[in-house]
Amino acid sequence: MSKIPLPIVQERRERQRPATPPTEDIREKVFEIEDAGEWTVHRVPEPYTEVTTKYGRTKKIPHQGLWHHKSCGQCGHIPGYSTAIFWLMRKLGFEYDDPKDQTSCTAWNYYASATSNSAAQAAVAMRNFGAAYESEHFPLIHCGTSYGHYKDVREELVAHPHLRAKVRSILDKLGRPFVMPEEIVHYSEWVYAMRHEFAARQVLDLSEITATVHPACHYHKLVVEDAIYDPDIYGGQRTAVVTAVAQALGAEVADYSTWFDCCGFGFRHILVQRDFTRSFATQRKIEVMVDEANPDVVLTHDTGCVTTLDQSQFSGKAHGRKVGVPVMSEAQFAALAMGAHPYKVCQLHWHNTENRPLLEKMGIDWKERWREFEDELKQLESGEKEYVTWDDVDAEPVATGSDS
Amino acid sequence: MTLAPNSYTEIPYEEKKRLFDEMRADPRYQDHLYGCYECGICVAACPSARFYDFSPRKIAQALARQDVELIYEQLNDDIWNCSQCFSCTRCPRGNNPGGLITVMREVAVNNGLGSARDALEGYGRVVYKIMGTGTQVSPDMLQPNAFPDWGPHVKEISDHLDVWRRALPPETLHTTTTAWQVDDRTITELYFIWHATGVMEMIEEVDEGLYEILNDVMEDVLEDAGFDDL
Amino acid sequence: MSDAVLVIGGGPAGMEAARSVADLGSRVVMVEKRDRLGGTPDEAGYAALTPSFESAEEALDRMRAGVVDRPEVTLHLGSTVVEASGEAGSFSVTLQNAKGERVTEEVGAVILATGFQHFDPGRETQMYGYYEHEDVITLVDAEKMLKAHEFVRPSTGEKPRNVAFIQCVGSRDRRIGNEYCSKVCCGISSKQAIEVRRLVPDAKVYIFYIDMRMYGYWENQIYWPAQEEYNVNYIRGIVTEVVKKGDRLLMKGEDTTMGRPMEVLMDVIVLAVGMEPSLGTRSIASIFGVPQNKYGFIEVPGEPMDAVTTGVSGIYVAGAAAGPKDLEDTVSMAGAAAVKAVGLLRAKAKGAA
Repeated sequence: MSKIPLPIVQERRERQRPATPPTEDIREKVFEIEDAGEWTVHRVPEPYTEVTTKYGRTKKIPHQGLWHHKSCGQCGHIPGYSTAIFWLMRKLGFEYDDPKDQTSCTAWNYYASATSNSAAQAAVAMRNFGAAYESEHFPLIHCGTSYGHYKDVREELVAHPHLRAKVRSILDKLGRPFVMPEEIVHYSEWVYAMRHEFAARQVLDLSEITATVHPACHYHKLVVEDAIYDPDIYGGQRTAVVTAVAQALGAEVADYSTWFDCCGFGFRHILVQRDFTRSFATQRKIEVMVDEANPDVVLTHDTGCVTTLDQSQFSGKAHGRKVGVPVMSEAQFAALAMGAHPYKVCQLHWHNTENRPLLEKMGIDWKERWREFEDELKQLESGEKEYVTWDDVDAEPVATGSDS
Repeated sequence: MTLAPNSYTEIPYEEKKRLFDEMRADPRYQDHLYGCYECGICVAACPSARFYDFSPRKIAQALARQDVELIYEQLNDDIWNCSQCFSCTRCPRGNNPGGLITVMREVAVNNGLGSARDALEGYGRVVYKIMGTGTQVSPDMLQPNAFPDWGPHVKEISDHLDVWRRALPPETLHTTTTAWQVDDRTITELYFIWHATGVMEMIEEVDEGLYEILNDVMEDVLEDAGFDDL
Repeated sequence: MSDAVLVIGGGPAGMEAARSVADLGSRVVMVEKRDRLGGTPDEAGYAALTPSFESAEEALDRMRAGVVDRPEVTLHLGSTVVEASGEAGSFSVTLQNAKGERVTEEVGAVILATGFQHFDPGRETQMYGYYEHEDVITLVDAEKMLKAHEFVRPSTGEKPRNVAFIQCVGSRDRRIGNEYCSKVCCGISSKQAIEVRRLVPDAKVYIFYIDMRMYGYWENQIYWPAQEEYNVNYIRGIVTEVVKKGDRLLMKGEDTTMGRPMEVLMDVIVLAVGMEPSLGTRSIASIFGVPQNKYGFIEVPGEPMDAVTTGVSGIYVAGAAAGPKDLEDTVSMAGAAAVKAVGLLRAKAKGAA
């Protein structure tokens, strides 16, 4: 990794003068609309951690009492992602709600096919926010696209009273409250806020592990001022989530020259034009990482990015490209560091690219862990057991909402 | 007017203009388009520009020029190449070419344009899944014939799908036909949203068969729930 | 009724305004926050001025000679304005020095010459990594090296092979709230590009731009020589991001003339940072209640026919306190402001008599 040369850039940062943020704080408008009686603002519950966003404003990240707004791709195809998030919350003893009264944000389809419109997208968002409010839990958005899209929806609802009125009338017919959360919070912001808690509970030494980070476009490029930036990470010039977590866990984060590039997901491309996705993911991302950083693992914080970067490597390998780096979320990585089971919790068998050398390097006996997992599968197959439960994965019993 | 009309000459100008006016009527349009510096910041950030003959700069430029002929050409030939990653929102003028393309795609779907029909070919099962079940992808979509380029791993998942799903500790994730368990009431509300916001009409424009299937699924559910004043 | 003009700011605008007022025979009270005259060109260490490459230091010395040791000029160095009251013809202004000592001056008119500050590119919304990469520098950083007659990669001390200038950093950018053009950066970058080529003849030098805005003397004395004598490469297209690749910098953008994406390795990248109102300009505007435009520069409601009268009677502005200006504009405004200020004093005196 190219180390950041501190003396010169440090001096530059010290010269910095305070600047006025170039955007209006949308949250002030959200409260004004509440004052006008148009909607209820769902307050961030205490306790919360205050973090810094791109233009130096503060954002509140709640700790517990969260309503897990799940992700289609995570739950459907890489379920260890969601499971790891829940597991982390349980390890910290935090109460949460894993709701069934939640739909997809439907934005993946919207960005892929455009078979929807502003009003429909905003109504879906507000239905989910209303459901969270009724459950008395604060929404935590698992998917980067849901997060980015909901921030866009918030901008549109704030800017256009007609849209607001239309969506409100739909929510009225559904018998749902019209609610906008005080903050729109991505799970990786919660992981960032909790990173020192994880490090304190860490059981594996990760100092030999080199990771590369892929930041999700819809996290830091959509409504940019809401993303977390930290002067200690990349000099405050790039979003700090994921990177700060890996560093807090003692892993080395290596830089590479296509850091800002998209993964190649493309929304429609991953489903019906995968030649583009495969080429972009392998040639612009994985191969560059291998060439420049030779990482043990790629860490990212969104559904589509994990899927794209992981699944695309199979054909890359078939073509003799320089690929073969396992991909997972920073939540899975943190869970492993804290001793989570690689198969029962992190569910790494759903991932495609070979990850056993990584597990060995992390000090995880994958053979034994896989045998344990197979034992569970046998019990499930024989009918001896219906499901693997939280009791089977060393997760603290937590009074939860609908998942109790 | 256009500087050099040379394609889609069989389509009358008035029709192209009508579609352009429909784009401009979208409330987001004004927020997404200013002028264009022609600086190319969007192009260098754009993944699609590296693999296709595609340029977010040309989209913004054509719209800023109000070049109806060129816009129609883009509506047919370019907009479906966009990755919707919004890397182009770095535009120093404040343009959002990706957001403009979202609007253009909606117009293409609303009007049943050939480009939209082509783009959605083979995509119907995904629209069905999201609109019908409330989650976009389901575990049982992981079939080897759908993802041959992902290797034998997909077959391994599909062979063990039921038991692997039951090996998930969160109880909402034991599903195979949806990404997680969604309550009936929740789905019904989603159906109502599709009907109340004109999304069903959009589907009818581009895929009548899909529209019929979705309508069959939703009709009785909505009626039973008392949502009959659509 | 006072017969003195207060000039706030000791840069080129302030020195030229003070000299002009004195030349017209009126008394000047001049206040400068630093301990010496010269303003930003002195503080930032400008080396050579456009278009003739003359030494900035010598040019500033000539300006200083116009104001120091003149009986008409009372100079308060190391001081700032902390309070002001009154109206055209009779302002009462309190100055304070570093020791906290205060003095009150009675003046009839005020000329604001509080200038600009260079944009800090750690704040830009493109991804240029000014706080990450040593070899990403600003025009100001480059000027310091050029003044020492060297041009090297800060990270290694070696001569660069490839050097790029990126224009419009902090200017013409709605995302950071500065939609305006800073006017001088095209000329300064081109001047520096020539200087780099003279110092490091083997280096390839590129300028990445949206428009090259080089009117007046810049056209024939800088722009064409840069291209035709020094082979500076002007590439139309602004850089999207700068990242590290190995020990060099990889810059990505679109060559919009050729219509293709470009990814080029560079050794030094110079960000052509624009102008923002200085902290002094912002604070003096609030002390005197002078209207500012949306960017914080002093508003000049009578433009274009009156380039110096502010929204408050008896208060005038000169130089970059009113928005991005080159030196030519700056000294022209200073002269005009001096004439208007002295004219006001005389009209008031006549009225009183």
